[in-house]
Amino acid sequence: MRLGAMFGDMFRSLFKRPVTELYPFRKEPAPSRLRGALTYNPAKCTGCQLCVKDCPSNAIELITIDKANKRFVMRYYMDRCTFCAQCVQNCRFGCLGMSNEQWEMAALNKEAFTVHYGREEDLQKLLSTNPHE
Amino acid sequence: MENETREKFIIPIGPQHPALKEPGHFEFSVDGETVTGATVRLGYVHRGIEKAAEERNWVQDLYLLERICGICSHAHALAYSLGVEKLAGVTAPPRAQAIRQLVAELERVHSHLLWLGVSAHEAGFDTLFMFSWRDRETIMDVLEGLTGNRVNYSVNVLGGVKADIDDARADAIRRGIDFLEERTQHYLKIATSDETFLRRTRGVGYTSREQAEELGLVGPTARAANVARDVRVDVPYAAYTDFPVQMTLDTRGDLEARFVVRIRELFESYRVVRQILDRLPAGELTARMPRRIKEGETVSRIEAPRGELFYFIKSNGSDKPERIKVRTPSICNFAVVTGTAKGHQLADMPMILAGMDPCFSCNDR
Repeated sequence: MRLGAMFGDMFRSLFKRPVTELYPFRKEPAPSRLRGALTYNPAKCTGCQLCVKDCPSNAIELITIDKANKRFVMRYYMDRCTFCAQCVQNCRFGCLGMSNEQWEMAALNKEAFTVHYGREEDLQKLLSTNPHE
Repeated sequence: MENETREKFIIPIGPQHPALKEPGHFEFSVDGETVTGATVRLGYVHRGIEKAAEERNWVQDLYLLERICGICSHAHALAYSLGVEKLAGVTAPPRAQAIRQLVAELERVHSHLLWLGVSAHEAGFDTLFMFSWRDRETIMDVLEGLTGNRVNYSVNVLGGVKADIDDARADAIRRGIDFLEERTQHYLKIATSDETFLRRTRGVGYTSREQAEELGLVGPTARAANVARDVRVDVPYAAYTDFPVQMTLDTRGDLEARFVVRIRELFESYRVVRQILDRLPAGELTARMPRRIKEGETVSRIEAPRGELFYFIKSNGSDKPERIKVRTPSICNFAVVTGTAKGHQLADMPMILAGMDPCFSCNDR
């Protein structure tokens, strides 16, 4: 039985820097496995839709531009995504990944959260047919 | 019982109250400062998760159920995956089971350190709260490095796990554990020797072994009253047969015993984590799971950081479950508040409540 069992800790802390990370001023690199924004590589996609089927929050839409030539555009709703990486697990062709660099996602409008991935010409085609998107 | 001539004075606490981190409603009838009775009312964080699970497929449910609780997310995902695998007749490979147990034990470390801070805070011992939470960051970083997220680790998939462990990662975990073991020794010493703190814990919220059995307590709260009840030992799941744990018991049954049991469980977790890292079985990470689970029903039990977590899963042969019922450890342990409140000071109530480590979100779903 003693009084002030943590006085020693408190005294030693007086001579130490705060352990709090100085976040916006100094950014520590994120761990390599951090699950940030989804990335999509259209080159290998076969349009099997397995990523769409198992997404727990319906954050992925796969839009077919030309099925025969395997041309797809992925519409990714970043605000719905729960970053569980089930889609990455499901993809047998390694098209999907989660970035450990893009994790600061705050934005002032909702439009910033709808991301389109795909070949440049496919994106042009999709956006020209649906100009309101 | 009430004296007929005197009015009963009831102090309502919650659902919104500064002393509660989550919504719950308590009514303490008092005579002066002494509590004469307590009732609890729950259900303020009901989100309808069990019903929502019936609308989603088996894989989607894994992530929905993981979000029942922010502290023991892996426990929920693990209980669900083990149950669904049992229904489908699939067994996850040994390496996956070992990694599941490893994450479960790391999660227990983080949960117990969080609890240590919260209950120290309720006792007014904010120094211990700040220091234990600072050290808890170590385990959060370890979990983030291993699984990719600090809270909802999503390490499980049906039929296995996502995250593998290589030598560099194993060393990072060992370093974190070594640091924490030293700190935990220090906290055990503080929790059992600081005079001021012991006045808040010693003899408070006492349950005898018989009373604990009668109230149906689970987890560390029951083990602090010498009730030998631990699913990891009684019905080993995942890799607990290969990497067994020792049950931590205490005979005293008061708040001090609950502190001692939880802190000593940390040492057991550190030992098992090291053992798993040293003898991690080689092999695959996932087994193939069917999309439709054959008809049937099953029960899946695991030891969450707070006690026994129970899942009932029923399948009708489709790609969605017909019914999922979750019973969380907190609902069993709330009896400790209503059962032991009588005769204590009103100021002891937050400590008794925090001492059973309540999780309202788990409890209400």
